Amino acid sequence: MNDELTWVIQAQQGSDEAFTKLVEEHQTHVYNLCYRMLGEPEAAEDAAQESFLRAYQNLQRYDRNRPFATWLLSIAAHYCIDRLRRRKLSVFSLDEENDEGVTFEIADPASPNPEAESVKREERDRLHILLKDLDATDRAAIVLRYWNDYSEIEIAESLNLTVSAVKSRLHRARRALAGMWQEDKPRTRAERRPHETPAF
Amino acid sequence: MKHQPFEDWLLNEKLITSEQKRELTSHLRTCAYCSALAETGMALNAVKAVSPRAGFTDRFQMRLAQRKIADRRRRVWGSILFTFGGLALLAWLMSPYLITFFSSPATWISTLVEWGVYLITTLQAMGQAGFVLLDVIPGFLSPFMWMILLSTMAGISLLWSVSIWRFIRVPQGR
Repeated sequence: MNDELTWVIQAQQGSDEAFTKLVEEHQTHVYNLCYRMLGEPEAAEDAAQESFLRAYQNLQRYDRNRPFATWLLSIAAHYCIDRLRRRKLSVFSLDEENDEGVTFEIADPASPNPEAESVKREERDRLHILLKDLDATDRAAIVLRYWNDYSEIEIAESLNLTVSAVKSRLHRARRALAGMWQEDKPRTRAERRPHETPAF
Repeated sequence: MKHQPFEDWLLNEKLITSEQKRELTSHLRTCAYCSALAETGMALNAVKAVSPRAGFTDRFQMRLAQRKIADRRRRVWGSILFTFGGLALLAWLMSPYLITFFSSPATWISTLVEWGVYLITTLQAMGQAGFVLLDVIPGFLSPFMWMILLSTMAGISLLWSVSIWRFIRVPQGR
């Protein structure tokens, strides 16, 4: 029996200490999903905490034959989808990440190619901004696929969808992202690098 | 512009041969959409997970403790309201009879006896009516009708059970 299953069993028997270990183990996955879904560090923290609370309250319903992480992320994904449906997220700013002290990727000047690193970071930031325009369930599918490295079967289990529905949602989301990426490109380049010398 | 089969290759992230790779590279030079699809694909595959602020577990423990206190408080208040509400309703329904308790002992003893007699006779009458119905009804209904009646009752019971189950069930992740 692995550690996680032991903690789950102990938590089901009422051990808060065991559940705390589960929180420690999965906090990054849950927080990351919530952050990518909701876009704001504060909302993500609140949603992640709430997801763990819901998991705690429904622990007796957890089927031990299912991976705990999938069950937990299913709770978090559904919570975020509900939250997004309840309110339209107005704006989410990447600047807030600095204020909250949450990971903000800064190009490392000591890295072999800081410029390439900076471009990559810029692309990740753009992607993060574009995610907010996706449908809530499509966004959850994309986050689970690329941030959590979930298979289509695992995404289907987490979001209560069929595998073919997941495939179709992933394709639709990828197409939408590509469309937005294409539209955003000229504007972003013009806005972000006005000081740069044109290549021609 | 024709995007197939390049769009499929990019969306499904399948391994492609070197020949296909050459075709794709040349297509990407001319197709802005497929190029954007490839760029977003690369960006998605290079994503990094962000971690919560330090002390997430401590904050969770605090929140859990607060939630437990709030739940306990809600349960206590719920029980108090339920008990007092029930008692108030009972007192209101019983008020005409309770008044007799403040009158002379003879009056409330006679009211009590009246009530007892009323209760016993009512139960007896109901029992007799039930026996009469059980004697009479089978003659009126054919076995086919009985089957339909029992099936309907079973269906209603099942519906009732499912409704109760759905009502008390807390959906996962909501």
